Amino acid sequence: MIGLKKHTQVAFSQSPGRVSWEILNKDKRTRISFAILLLIIALAILAPIYSSFIAHTNPFVSSLDASFNMNGKTVQVLQPSTQGLGLGVTPIGPTWKFNHYFLGADSQGRDIVARILYGGRNTLFIGFVSSLLTMFFAILIGVIAGYYRGFIDNFLSRILDLIWAFPVYLLAISLSVVLLTSGLNFGFIHFGAGSLALPIFIIGMVYIPYVARPLRAQVLSIRERDFVKAAIGYGAGNSNIIFTEILPNVLPSALVFFPIMVALNMLTESALSFLSIGVQPPSASWGTIINDGLALLYTRPLVAILPGLMIVITAAALNLYGDAVRDALDPKLNTRIIK
Amino acid sequence: MIKVILTRITSLFLVLAAISVLVFLIFFATPGVDPAARIAGRNADQQTLIQVRHSFGLDKPIPLRYLSMMNHLFIQRDLTSYVNRGTKVIPELLSTIPATLSLVVGASIIWLLMSVVLGIKAASSKRKWIDPLISVLGIVGVSIPVYWLGEVVNLITQSKLHDSIFHWLPPLGYVGITSDPVQWFLHLIFPWITLSILYTGIYIRVLRSEILTAMTEDFVKTERAKGAGEKRILYRHAFRMSLLSIVSLFGLDFGALVGGSALLTEVVFNIHGIGKLTFDSLQNFDLPVIMATVIYASFFVVLANAIVDIVYAWLDPRVRYE
Amino acid sequence: MYSKKNKLFKVATISLLITLVSSLILSTNVKADGNSLPAFDKSKAGGTLKLVAQSAAGTLDPKINYTAQYWQLYVATYDGLLAFKYASGPEAFKVVPDLATAMPVISNGGKTLTFTLRSGIKFSNGQPVTVNDVKASFERVFKVSGPTAGTFFNGIIGADVCLKTPATCKLDKGIVVNPSTNQVVLNLVSPDDAILYKLSTPHAAINPAATPGKDQGTTPIPTTGPYMYKSYDTNKSLILVRNPYFKEWSHDANPQGYPDQIEYDFGVTPTAAVTAVENNQVNFMFDQIPADRLPEIGTKYANQAHISQLTAMWYLPLNVNIAPFNNPKARQAINYAVDRNALIKIYGGANLATPVCSILPPNFPGHVDFCGYTKGATPQKPATSWTAPDLDLAKKLVKESGTQGQPVAVVVADDDVNKQMGVYLQSVLNAIGYKATVEAISGNIQFTYIQNTKNKVQISVTQWFQDYPAAVDFLYVLFGCASFIPNSDSSINMAGYCNKPLDDRMKAAITLGAVNPTAANAQWGQIDKDMMADAPTVPLFTPKQLDFISSGTKNYVFSPQNKMLFSQAQLK
Repeated sequence: MIGLKKHTQVAFSQSPGRVSWEILNKDKRTRISFAILLLIIALAILAPIYSSFIAHTNPFVSSLDASFNMNGKTVQVLQPSTQGLGLGVTPIGPTWKFNHYFLGADSQGRDIVARILYGGRNTLFIGFVSSLLTMFFAILIGVIAGYYRGFIDNFLSRILDLIWAFPVYLLAISLSVVLLTSGLNFGFIHFGAGSLALPIFIIGMVYIPYVARPLRAQVLSIRERDFVKAAIGYGAGNSNIIFTEILPNVLPSALVFFPIMVALNMLTESALSFLSIGVQPPSASWGTIINDGLALLYTRPLVAILPGLMIVITAAALNLYGDAVRDALDPKLNTRIIK
Repeated sequence: MIKVILTRITSLFLVLAAISVLVFLIFFATPGVDPAARIAGRNADQQTLIQVRHSFGLDKPIPLRYLSMMNHLFIQRDLTSYVNRGTKVIPELLSTIPATLSLVVGASIIWLLMSVVLGIKAASSKRKWIDPLISVLGIVGVSIPVYWLGEVVNLITQSKLHDSIFHWLPPLGYVGITSDPVQWFLHLIFPWITLSILYTGIYIRVLRSEILTAMTEDFVKTERAKGAGEKRILYRHAFRMSLLSIVSLFGLDFGALVGGSALLTEVVFNIHGIGKLTFDSLQNFDLPVIMATVIYASFFVVLANAIVDIVYAWLDPRVRYE
Repeated sequence: MYSKKNKLFKVATISLLITLVSSLILSTNVKADGNSLPAFDKSKAGGTLKLVAQSAAGTLDPKINYTAQYWQLYVATYDGLLAFKYASGPEAFKVVPDLATAMPVISNGGKTLTFTLRSGIKFSNGQPVTVNDVKASFERVFKVSGPTAGTFFNGIIGADVCLKTPATCKLDKGIVVNPSTNQVVLNLVSPDDAILYKLSTPHAAINPAATPGKDQGTTPIPTTGPYMYKSYDTNKSLILVRNPYFKEWSHDANPQGYPDQIEYDFGVTPTAAVTAVENNQVNFMFDQIPADRLPEIGTKYANQAHISQLTAMWYLPLNVNIAPFNNPKARQAINYAVDRNALIKIYGGANLATPVCSILPPNFPGHVDFCGYTKGATPQKPATSWTAPDLDLAKKLVKESGTQGQPVAVVVADDDVNKQMGVYLQSVLNAIGYKATVEAISGNIQFTYIQNTKNKVQISVTQWFQDYPAAVDFLYVLFGCASFIPNSDSSINMAGYCNKPLDDRMKAAITLGAVNPTAANAQWGQIDKDMMADAPTVPLFTPKQLDFISSGTKNYVFSPQNKMLFSQAQLK
């Protein structure tokens, strides 16, 4: 698995407040990464405009026998080889014309640009929602394990071990068969066949230990602090202490993880698409477009390379932002910056 | 401390048992994976199907099937594949270890060297542009999907430029170091680089911030006040301090990689290691092999976790178990 | 046929064929215009033939292995009493005596076949081949629960008991041997017109009587042919060397081979394999060539590519027992709607496949050129060949059937070609008024998954390859009532189609075939048309075999029965 297994050293600041946000806002990295992310989100949102008004194409319908008029000549989108033995059919490459297959077509004769724009929506959506899921469970487990300690901690830590060591690929492949055929019922949760919920759920689970472990360690040490001991001494209730003393102190660190998690989860999504779990055709995500493009790697390498670059750029922007957040919320580095 | 270690060992086995049970249940809950018809062959007669089901013990209840599989895996040690009948799972698994070790050890040498050099440079260089540049490199490194990078590397080295720059490159695959050290090296050079790019990115980032943190510690200030040179402070103190977290991080990563986390790299470069074996067995729905590889992989992951945790607990009394 | 190793020879259930044996079938089904092989040329012998595949094909036991990948090796290593002739062209479908001295003497109304075993032949371990080995080999089919035990060899007297209690299988009455005269008498419960074909397959190969009655897995069993197995590791390689005891006894049945050694390496991806063949590092690749490598092979390496006709079909079984395809109009609609040329584009282009709308492939006994589901044609007034889809008519039929708006899931294997076809079909089904999804599941389970009625598969993409040239192999096996077994993973009639009147006509044609093959084939042609009017399936196209071999490989011989004949490849 792709993974940062490092318990990133996120020290918490007792009052992150305005100072941190100002630093964050002044940080060049914030601006650069925000600009990139906004551009990518805008592109994803504008996907329908590109496909219906500029390219005049439906990126979800196969058009294996389509042809169009370019420079007065009729051009086939899927071009059978005419030389030699005439083996193989190659989709059209980049035409560099916005109204016709600007960057070419995939093996179903669909416009690549439109697919990538639409694919970005799913990739970003999966990355974002699954990260929310990761954060929710990680904070829950981290706080409970760290606060109650003892048996509960031991039990939850073993659950984390289990998730961490569990073969995600097996889960993914098996569940994809179930999902594809009948959908899944977990009592109250129902995953319909072909729904996005399942990839989001699986991806959301993978990195829980990665976030939960450092949070737990933090809670363990916060619990030893005087102000928590004092609260316990006053006879404050557990849930009261958790919500007023522990959580506010853990949240900044959790916040630092969020952009990094979105990046990681996007990468996981693309890796799982390699195994055909995830977004189901004819929809797309960058991961599934890469996977489709691998079958065209020798004739039309762009189909696989472009969505990969999109992932790299987006993930890099998120990581950059994550660095900026960490520096802003990290008091040790704070002193350094002021000095 | 001994108590802590004992608890961890017990829980290690509990986790492994839980994983094996889960894998088993998921396998048999997946529709269409009943291996009997695939073992029996195309269009087999119904009688034959019954015989095959019986001879593989597939007509027994699930708990008995599980126990029998564990018995063959751990006690008899003669578990055989469902797909490649007659292939014993344990020797098959053991035979893939050299390839994985070669890949992982080579790649980790590269990423450790690269990240130590670049991480120290980033944390210490006086030139303004060096730190941001190395940081950006690190960020890009952790943002690349490994299998995509591998495919692109293959496209360039095996096809587009194979006739010119990379004509010396052998086809994809793995050659044992004992049979031909030169070929071993040539086959692995690009897999090493590809795998190490991700980890170089991670380690640069960690090392840089650890060194910077250490440089602000009180004892460094004391050293400085005593008149120690910056170089000496950097290498003797800051770097040494940061090594602790690097070593524990490396422990986790190495454990996971030896356990098969290099799956995507092995698949893309066609290296028949433990990851590729896992991948193939998943593709084939070959439960005995899946079971063996999963337990093997989980063992290393959980073990590495336990060791790192224990070392941490030993070094940092605040996190010590009660 | 595509990259995964699970694309096997799909061999027919012929257990119910109760007909008279007639050697006529063999001579009339096969046009005698193929080529026998020239005599062995010693100066061309030598070298190592290197083959590669993505993965090994399982057990090496010839009584159990049922894959095209290893059957291609078995024809150079094992021998039965009979064999398909070593030849190119249609001549390769001819059955010739192999370990038997001559074709069997048939008596007792087709129920008794008498062979004489050749003497002086030795196994690769030096032991002589005796009549006891023959008997033990047939018993072993049952002892190891071979895949064809209940479909090929269940007609032998005593087979019923052996199927139930394999461990103690005895065929004392079914196979009577006489060591002093070298005679082998095969007794059948009833006449079986396909028995000679069945006896020519590797599952009827003769192995030493001492071979244990268990799957031998990776342990090689001594051979009789020009090569024997030296070592087998399913993750690495399979190595064949010359059998020191082999002396050519029949050039037609199993001729002397040219390479000194044959090495099959596993774990090479198709893309890497193409590159290796191009660079002359290996001689032959087994897997389907990836679509994006086809253009370069067709141009730069055109003289190393060999395209051969196959008698096979890609088709879409339509589940006639559940909605929407329990409605004949819905089945006809999809037949009109599917653009065969579009699917052929995905498969690799017009030079690698021919569109069809009949179940019997072109050039197959009984085949008639007809197409009821092309633009401007109806099942009642068919055209001669497929030209274009008719989407408007398809939409109209869907409306009339009252099934529009219903969900349809297309189940395909998850390799690239099949998945692309699924995505295309999804698009077409949506276009004619359904709500379609595509379900790509692992190629290793898709084939059994779509057979089981429990999985409620409505439509799927699959393939069928002939075992021997007889119409029964397609029509009766794939769409006969006997092949439909609800709730079983082994129910090859995936459409679940059981049409009693047609089933009776097929049985009659089988009986007729024994006495008058020409008349029977005319019957089969009509049955094909009538069945397609009811449309239990959408036939898509007839694929061609594309073999890509290295520039250093000479004397490529393609047998339509056994594919490329490895033993005849010359490396000098």
